[in-house]
Amino acid sequence: MKINHLIISLTAVVTMTSCDKLLEFEPGDVVIAADALQTADDAQRMLNSNYDVLGNLYDGRVQNVGELLTENLAIPENNNDFVSVWNRETNFFTSFTNGVYTDFYRAVYRGNALLDNFDLIEDLSSSEKTRMEAEVRFIRALCHFQVVKLWAQPYNYTADNSHLGIPIRRVASQEPLPRSTVKEVYDFIIEDLEFARANLPLSNGVYANKHAASALLAQVYFQMSDYTTSVSYANEVIGSNAFTLDTDLDRYEQDAINSETIFGIVSNILDIRSEGFRDNYRSDNNANPTLTFSGSVVTTMQQTPSDARNDWFSSDGAFHKVTRFNNKEYYNIPVIHLTGLLMIRAEALGHLNQDLDIAIDDINSIRDRAFGEGLFDVDPSASGADVVEFARLELWKETLCEGTWIDQLKRRGTQGEAITVRNAPWDCPGMALQFPNGETSAAGFILNEEGGCN
Amino acid sequence: MNRLRIVLSIFFVLFAAGMSAQTVKGVISDAKGPLPGASVVLSGTTTGASTGIDGSYELKVKPGKNVIDVTFVGYTKQSKEFTVGVGETVTLNVTLKEDAIFLDDVVVVGYGVQRKREVTGSIAKIESKAITSMPTPSFEAALQGQAAGVQVSQGSGVAGAGSLIRVRGVASVSAGGDPLYVVDGIPITQDYFLRGNSGALNNNPLATINPNDIESVEILKDAAATGIYGSRGANGVILITTKRGTQGTQYDFSSRFGISTPASLPNMLTTDEYLTLRQEAWENDGGTGYVWLPNFSSASDDAETRELAFKKAQKTNTNWVDETIGVGFKQAYNFGVRKGGKKYALYAGISYDDNSSFLQGNSYERISGRLNFDYTVNKYLKVLFSTSASRGLNHRVDVAWSGGLGDAMSTALPYYPIQYEEDELDADGNVVHEAGEYFLFSGKNPVAVQNLKKWRNTEDRSINNLSALITPIKNLTIKLSGGFDYMHLREDVYNPGALSQSSDLGSTNRYANYVLNWNYSGTANYLWDLGEDHKFNFLIGSEFQRSDSYGYGLFFQDVTGPIYEVDSLRENLDAALRTANNPSQWSFLSYFGRVNYTLKNKYVFQGTARVDGSSRFGRNNRYGFFPSLSAGWIISEENFMKGIERINFMKLRASYGITGNAAIPDYARFGTFSQVDNGILYNQQPITFPLQLANPDLRWETSRTFDMALEMGMFNDRVSFELSYYHKMSRDVLLNVNVPPSTGFTNYWDNVAQILNRGVEFAVKTRNIVGKFNWTTDFNIARNYNELVDIGNYTPDAVSGGTNDSRVIVGKPVGSFYLVEFSHVDPDNGLPVYIDLEGNETYDYDNAIRKYVGDGLPDAVGGITNTFSWKNWDLTALMTYSIGAKIFDSSSKRQLGVVTDWNMRTEVLDRWRQPGDVSTFPMLTLDETTYGLPSGFPWWNTSLFVYDASYIRLRNLSLGYNIPNVKIKNFKFSSFRVVFNVTNLFTLTNFPGLDPEVVRDFENAQDRNLSPNVTYLTPPQERSYNLSINFSF
Repeated sequence: MKINHLIISLTAVVTMTSCDKLLEFEPGDVVIAADALQTADDAQRMLNSNYDVLGNLYDGRVQNVGELLTENLAIPENNNDFVSVWNRETNFFTSFTNGVYTDFYRAVYRGNALLDNFDLIEDLSSSEKTRMEAEVRFIRALCHFQVVKLWAQPYNYTADNSHLGIPIRRVASQEPLPRSTVKEVYDFIIEDLEFARANLPLSNGVYANKHAASALLAQVYFQMSDYTTSVSYANEVIGSNAFTLDTDLDRYEQDAINSETIFGIVSNILDIRSEGFRDNYRSDNNANPTLTFSGSVVTTMQQTPSDARNDWFSSDGAFHKVTRFNNKEYYNIPVIHLTGLLMIRAEALGHLNQDLDIAIDDINSIRDRAFGEGLFDVDPSASGADVVEFARLELWKETLCEGTWIDQLKRRGTQGEAITVRNAPWDCPGMALQFPNGETSAAGFILNEEGGCN
Repeated sequence: MNRLRIVLSIFFVLFAAGMSAQTVKGVISDAKGPLPGASVVLSGTTTGASTGIDGSYELKVKPGKNVIDVTFVGYTKQSKEFTVGVGETVTLNVTLKEDAIFLDDVVVVGYGVQRKREVTGSIAKIESKAITSMPTPSFEAALQGQAAGVQVSQGSGVAGAGSLIRVRGVASVSAGGDPLYVVDGIPITQDYFLRGNSGALNNNPLATINPNDIESVEILKDAAATGIYGSRGANGVILITTKRGTQGTQYDFSSRFGISTPASLPNMLTTDEYLTLRQEAWENDGGTGYVWLPNFSSASDDAETRELAFKKAQKTNTNWVDETIGVGFKQAYNFGVRKGGKKYALYAGISYDDNSSFLQGNSYERISGRLNFDYTVNKYLKVLFSTSASRGLNHRVDVAWSGGLGDAMSTALPYYPIQYEEDELDADGNVVHEAGEYFLFSGKNPVAVQNLKKWRNTEDRSINNLSALITPIKNLTIKLSGGFDYMHLREDVYNPGALSQSSDLGSTNRYANYVLNWNYSGTANYLWDLGEDHKFNFLIGSEFQRSDSYGYGLFFQDVTGPIYEVDSLRENLDAALRTANNPSQWSFLSYFGRVNYTLKNKYVFQGTARVDGSSRFGRNNRYGFFPSLSAGWIISEENFMKGIERINFMKLRASYGITGNAAIPDYARFGTFSQVDNGILYNQQPITFPLQLANPDLRWETSRTFDMALEMGMFNDRVSFELSYYHKMSRDVLLNVNVPPSTGFTNYWDNVAQILNRGVEFAVKTRNIVGKFNWTTDFNIARNYNELVDIGNYTPDAVSGGTNDSRVIVGKPVGSFYLVEFSHVDPDNGLPVYIDLEGNETYDYDNAIRKYVGDGLPDAVGGITNTFSWKNWDLTALMTYSIGAKIFDSSSKRQLGVVTDWNMRTEVLDRWRQPGDVSTFPMLTLDETTYGLPSGFPWWNTSLFVYDASYIRLRNLSLGYNIPNVKIKNFKFSSFRVVFNVTNLFTLTNFPGLDPEVVRDFENAQDRNLSPNVTYLTPPQERSYNLSINFSF
């Protein structure tokens, strides 16, 4: 009896609690990954989140990184990280640049995760699937393009572009990856953009369309100094007449997408994506804005006093406040625009010394707007070299604060020009931003050399 | 509070119970002297008493013949008969003899008790006396220096601050590295991060536990001891046993009054000194004229403006340290009763403790009550009930990086006035600031903040347990237990509008968390003796534990005070802007067993096994198996030892086992996406986005521990010691690794690392002098070697301790300081010289040349307690020490580095000034690039600020006097004791900073593991002077 009692008692005790369900808890305020992408709506929301990341990036952050590397800005006030970029001394703790880098890849991950999960989505038509893939790959290419321009030495820095670029992320994965060569990165970007160009619709609301892919291809090839290819893509977009130059100089419009925007970020009163961009510059409510123009910008601008773009700043002694973004509650941000495309086509044609009349028309279309119709036109007999010079000047003026001028300086450096930025050669180590610390968390990742520019 | 009233009522009912005219009294002693805590019971009744500190007792008895039974664990029971006449007092002294079997105490081992001599694992027992002998912010701080291998670092002098306890080193990286705390069988909620590090203080989940309720604390160290807690024993287990009723009746009252002062003070520069150094830095940088001054002028101002500002600054010299520090007053009152009869036993206690720190406005108040009631229903069933309720009120102030004394040590420059002395006008003559208005810099001013901001944490805690002990047949005990641990933490903050100069009204927030923690267990224990020589003890059981944590926030704008002060807010909580989190939940389901076998009373064997399932792991790795085997050989029982009289006890024991750790966030294994309705739109369309990478293969972190020890008692226990060696290898150590951002994420949980902890512990107790004058010494020392053995393909930067520059470096201890090595100041030019990875000197500060420059783990820690007693006097001195650890004084990089908007410490006066100067600090500069730092990066993270943190401190010195025969009219006390004590009276150390014993606020468990001994404006420890009065009747 004793033993029976014992066994019964022990069994009762041990089986008191035995159910694996007691150990099943799922987080309540999120969706488990396996359940997150099941319908076409899920996919569209995920795709929209890629644009959301771009919205956070192009709310001035990307533009500021690029602009700080040029000589357009005075040394920033009250922002140590901005100063680090301005001095070409980023290190892997520079949280500002680390955040920008991380966000680009965040968008890449989201796109890749969507592509990897397409098979799980039941109600997605093949045409929708293709359209989504094309959008994903457009964004993936845009992100890789921006990162490789800022975090690596430029294309043509080495003859075969075997110098280190950035990690290429083709699939969603937590695996650490080494840096690919710049050639590999550009090949990857072009592959993605060609797919996007072939599969994106001509019109796609505020999202990426075929023209955006073509325009970005024009920029990519221009950055590679492949002017012929660049011109052919630019012609495709410009010739479509889908985009026109606005009559006024302000392409940062509230509640309207400017007619020259080929691809951009949208804001509305409930979802403002322009404060970050505006607030580092704005001087209407801030006596000491973080970012102001350098004296050299003002000197150059004032060589043509009748240029309406002189209204984009106001000088107080050596202090040149940017007024371009004052008095704007919010605005839509063009990322790829017709002005930029026209000027790279013009410069490319100048380099090629062909179709100079088209190039001169392109330049004049910009000058007409800034100076008044026909008041400051290029001489029709201008040489290819002149065209290059004029196109560059207009591009520089038009893209002040947009952060893309540094790309042109570096590209020109690769073509043998003696480019310096605030006394630093275009290819000094610090001109390539340092990667985030986290990139070195796995062995084998090669960081950029720091500093060396001052 | 109702419960408290009930407890109080019970006290007074019991208090009023019987007193009669005849008395028996005396002293119970053993061969060594008086025995406190022995039980004296009138035979056949429930009337009884415990002996006081001096072994004395006193009982009221009926006239005539009586018998008392005197018992004490480890001694043979004695009964004495005596006769007492009406109104007489009889004195009866009894000397107990040690029980041959119960050579020593019993210890709590987890789901049971064992005789210490038969324990095969490594367990340190700390009695209540050691815990209550000194005032500490919470009980665990009193464990410091008491047990070998248990490193206790008291956080700081901030009221309510917790301690950092490491049992035999740290074996975890990202998972919690704290030991498991178990109160009366319930693993309690022990989350230090319910409120993150808000205000530079982590919440202390142990602060609401009343030290006076604690009977004993057992610290389980090796696998044989912790194995029964299996998956959760890898970092040790701390078992807290609360007091229960004993035979007879005893009332205890204690009170304490004291004052708190800082154990050390920061040495900040005066205005003259600061201005002189800043001017020097300006001139070193090539500046001319007067230097610009933060908040008074700017670098772009012209010379005249700068001069005016400089001269204005010279007129003020505020000692911000004095403005934030004061003398804190402490008071505590405890009242307890122990009562027991044949059927029942009861312990009830109430306590009030008001513990002010030396920081102005900072105190921790605790009110608590406990009732432990045991009732024997019949010979088959006994019911045990425990409940406690406590409320901790933490009157908060900003510290460290958050402000207060931290500001006084950093951004509160001495030339800033506390208040404007006269009206401040703008260029147009308008009054910008009125005289008397607080001077604010970046919206701060420690005095203004302390006066205007209102901030309180309220922590309600109740730990409850109901158990049934069923004895269906002889030797079989079944225990069914249910426990519930409730914690509700509210942090109320009122930010006055005056600090932002925007409004007279302010905003108030309440951040609240509550944690519900249920525990059910069932065990069956069977004793099986096969004759005298073979004794078995079988235990099997299962346990289920579940915890749900909730969080919510309430936010009010334009109000006059915090919710706890403003009735209209309290009554209208629904009007608040509210946030609420979904619960975070975890559960454990466990099955375990233990077999003890004692052969011939001298060979002891134990096997334990536990299977744990955790909700934190996926089905593929959910259950872990954690076995241990151990054996002990009581050599002194062998015949060949019988003739050796010098050795009265000798035991050799060894154990090997596997334990685990699963203290990671509840949902770390899940890949997650945002909710569909997350409210985030782009282009007015909804978005879905991934939040966390999945790792479905996440599994238990496991430690394999080998332990071996020799225990000896010599010269009739005049000398007893224990020497242990252990080797603990932890595998699959959980890391929240920094993944490359190019993955699209920043972190990922994975089982990656291996950690070795290996060490030796030695504890000795000697009774140096025995007799009228007694002198006893307890000494312990522990040496632990810690090494991160492997971290896969990851680099030191894969895991970091918050902002503390502590990293994981293979071959070095967990949490090593990873900094640029500073060599010296070049006497020729005053520039700092660094050492690169090749060992070459360089002026370039480069993050790429960071390296291991030390770690915060000590080579040895321990304590020495000397106790002297003579007649009714006793003197106890507890010294604690730590040898070989380094401190990274992280805030020094601003206090002793580039001249910025921080005040500096006087050490910086030893700076380079001219060629040929040999100095500690380089030439002063306002420009970080002078030191080779990247521009915009004033964080001078170098080994210059890594210091030797070895120390020995007089942790507690207490002088006690037992006043004999205290009577008030006819009322006689069984004991009456007065104690004066001082904590942290002195500290011997080479550390030039505030305090070599430091635990700063941490961001998360990983930071807590990786960053011991990093200080960042952390306040010093307190020195307190206290007078206590304790009496029993």
